[in-house]
Amino acid sequence: MSIRNPGTIFTAPLIAVVGFLTVCPVAMLVLGSFSEGLGAFGTFTLAKYATAYTDPEFIRIILNTVIFTTGSAMVSTGLALFLAYLNNRSNIPFKFLFSIISIVPMMVPHILFAVSWVLLLNPTNGMINLFFRQALGWEGIVFSIYTLKGMILVEGLLDLPIAYLVIAPAMSSFDVSLEESSRVCGASNIRTLLRITLPVLRPAILAAVTLVIIRSMASFAVPSVIGMPGRIYVLATHIYRVVATGYAADYGLAAAIGMSALVASITLIFVYRRLTREGEKYVTVSSRGFHPTTIDLKGARYPLFGIVGLISFVLIVLPVAVLFYTSLVPYSMVPGVKAFAAMSWKHYIGVLKDPVSLISLKNSLLLGTGGASLGIVLSFFVAYTIVKIKTKASGFLESLSFLSFSFPGIVVGIGFMWFFVQTPLYSTIWALLVGYIATYLPYGIRPLTSAFVQIHGNLEESSRVCGGGALYTMRRIVLPLLVPGIVSGWILMATMFVRELSLSVVLSRPGTEVLAVQILRFSEDGLWGSLSALGIMMIFISTALVVIASFAGARLTSVKN
Amino acid sequence: MEITIRNLSKHYRTEGGSIAALDRINLQIPANKIFTLLGPSGCGKTTLLRCIVGLEIPDEGEITIGDEVVFSSEKKISRPPDKRDLGMVFQTYAIWPHMNVFENVAYPLQAQKKPKDEIARRVAKTLHFVQLDGFENRPATKLSGGQQQRVALARALVAEPKVILFDEPLSNLDAKLREETRKELRRFLTELAITAVYVTHDRLEALSLSDNVAVMKSGKIVEVGTPWEIYFETDRRFVADFIGRVNFIEGSIARMENGSVIVDSGIGTIVCDRKKNLPVNSPVTLGIRPEFIKTFYENPGAAENTFRGRIETLVFTGDVWEAEVKSGTETLVLRIDPTFPVKTGDDIFLHLDRRHCKLLFN
Repeated sequence: MSIRNPGTIFTAPLIAVVGFLTVCPVAMLVLGSFSEGLGAFGTFTLAKYATAYTDPEFIRIILNTVIFTTGSAMVSTGLALFLAYLNNRSNIPFKFLFSIISIVPMMVPHILFAVSWVLLLNPTNGMINLFFRQALGWEGIVFSIYTLKGMILVEGLLDLPIAYLVIAPAMSSFDVSLEESSRVCGASNIRTLLRITLPVLRPAILAAVTLVIIRSMASFAVPSVIGMPGRIYVLATHIYRVVATGYAADYGLAAAIGMSALVASITLIFVYRRLTREGEKYVTVSSRGFHPTTIDLKGARYPLFGIVGLISFVLIVLPVAVLFYTSLVPYSMVPGVKAFAAMSWKHYIGVLKDPVSLISLKNSLLLGTGGASLGIVLSFFVAYTIVKIKTKASGFLESLSFLSFSFPGIVVGIGFMWFFVQTPLYSTIWALLVGYIATYLPYGIRPLTSAFVQIHGNLEESSRVCGGGALYTMRRIVLPLLVPGIVSGWILMATMFVRELSLSVVLSRPGTEVLAVQILRFSEDGLWGSLSALGIMMIFISTALVVIASFAGARLTSVKN
Repeated sequence: MEITIRNLSKHYRTEGGSIAALDRINLQIPANKIFTLLGPSGCGKTTLLRCIVGLEIPDEGEITIGDEVVFSSEKKISRPPDKRDLGMVFQTYAIWPHMNVFENVAYPLQAQKKPKDEIARRVAKTLHFVQLDGFENRPATKLSGGQQQRVALARALVAEPKVILFDEPLSNLDAKLREETRKELRRFLTELAITAVYVTHDRLEALSLSDNVAVMKSGKIVEVGTPWEIYFETDRRFVADFIGRVNFIEGSIARMENGSVIVDSGIGTIVCDRKKNLPVNSPVTLGIRPEFIKTFYENPGAAENTFRGRIETLVFTGDVWEAEVKSGTETLVLRIDPTFPVKTGDDIFLHLDRRHCKLLFN
């Protein structure tokens, strides 16, 4: 063995903590599904499964879920392929837009993105519908977003960055000589694309499809904001309906339904893992520093760029613009002179006077800053153990910490609910904190592990030889070099926590409301003005956290001259 | 300070069991000299160095630096690297990228909690010594490879360690800079009269830099000596082969004469200097370096060790023709004056210097 690593002693406690965080909700979900109710935990019954799976509506819900998730996967993968191909393989202008498309939409909270589409296309007073009615005198409903198609469109756009991040690297590492030989054989560009490019990229495409199916099955924002008003239920909203609306909340039933979502996720994750492993065999990456030949789009160059520009506008500018506009006008109206004259800050003032909104602002800010800081401390130790202490136990810790990552948040929430009810943490902000950290731990671990990997072992060893003890080395060498990883991990966690919805709808109680839940309430009540004002504040808070953290990071990493 | 290594072993666990990285090593490293551990990759030289520094913990044995036991499996002593008072230059230099040159070099003194003015004084002195005056405020990563190397050296020297250790420090430099740095390093270390342990797989580095060389193979020390002794006097096939170009000629002992050994081989009867007695007819390997085979167009008329040969291949390298010459059943590599008008297929005469025909053993 090399020099005794003082960090080894952390492995066992870390496995205990992370194991608790990730296994607890799953275990409690299973136990809960066989229990009578929250008050009667541990009394065995199969009644909940019987109720859940004999419900005649259940078939409809499964069907909706399948259509919704695969539809979204088609939309986002198709768009991602289109964008990745143009970016990597053509001479389309303004390529910087592509990296913006792939990163920035992650900054807009999903619930706000979904709401902005409702504001545009809802049948009663959606802006586009109002425009057609008022300006063109059309009768009745022109477009309705409250359909399965509407859900698919919005979810597909939301998951576009994920699909793009899977497909773009495969597209750029693609060995162009495969295509060139096809061209030499006399095939046209289109034929080459269909016969060579797409088949070779098949593993990446399938991986993107699977990943989007996983994400859209876990999605709660779109199904709740767009699906529920149209009475279109998928698994996530079906579970939500059982615990949060109408008749008495039944957490046993919710757990029983949740089990099928959990099993589906685990299966899909397994499929995804297999696909990405296969992918290494297929995608031929050439190590030579070749420059991929680009396809000259000729006359189609600017029209195609127009489409890319439109997609970026729809993904980034439109949602924020619609929200900002709605937050300023007194009621839904078509933009124009009249609307401009009626603009005021009254929704903002209203929200800031609303006690529940204030509580949600305070809680989200607290969870965002404090939660991310706690989360990053835990991530630090986990990443250290994974990278620097390469034992079997640390490998186990790694798989453990990624366990609940892709489970639907609402299912994890139900599992945690069963746990928290048995503890004094129930209905406190601590319950949310624990749930958040458990679910979003990989967001902190990923950047930190890659930061740790980049610190060459010699850098620590030379400090030891120079007379620095283990702790001195940690403080003066390891920590300073980790700052970029810590900052990006913190930013990811903080922005995730500020916008968190799907766990929170289950765990948040009166007094522990958070921003996204309050926005969902506003949406259910159709209070679009207040919703938009609060949403703009939410975006502002996220952006501020990102700016402050990046600034602090830059200050800490600059070498003193 | 002198380093004594007794019976040092270290094993690595592998899937099929364990392999010995170090196999009962005994070694005496003299004080205030440059001592090189030379060997092919995987021979255990870096592991041995890391055991001396304390970055690896041996399974068994004892390491003494000066009069202090820093490791002993028997006495259950294992001092951590930060308590051994050593300096080390890594192959990667391990310059800390978040610090400037001054901070990098000051680090060992800061770790010892020395007063600020003393740190400033000693850092300045050390930077002056390695000719990096005025570089204090440069970000260390913005320096050239050679300069980074000198920062690493300054950092290893600044706290006046008992021993300074080098782990292949020149392998990241380009060939020309490597030669300059090697000379410079030799000058620095001789001037300081400090004990230096140097690990390399480059024979030229080992020969030109060291006072003493230990050749290692498969976790064992094969031979220890001055560079001259290792190059000329070894009777081990592995060492002779590793330290330079050598032709091996298989043969058997024909007879022993007063002061000479007569060997029958594929190119004829070879007469060598007699160093020890060997039974007649026993198989032997003769080793002769290319530079000790002379070539002639006419028979030089010498009484012994003159053979005919034909040039099979010729490679022009600038300073010499490198030729493969077939003589009898053997093919020998030798060097011919580059101005000599030779061509492939020429018949020539070879003369082997009997003082440099060595009997080699495994």
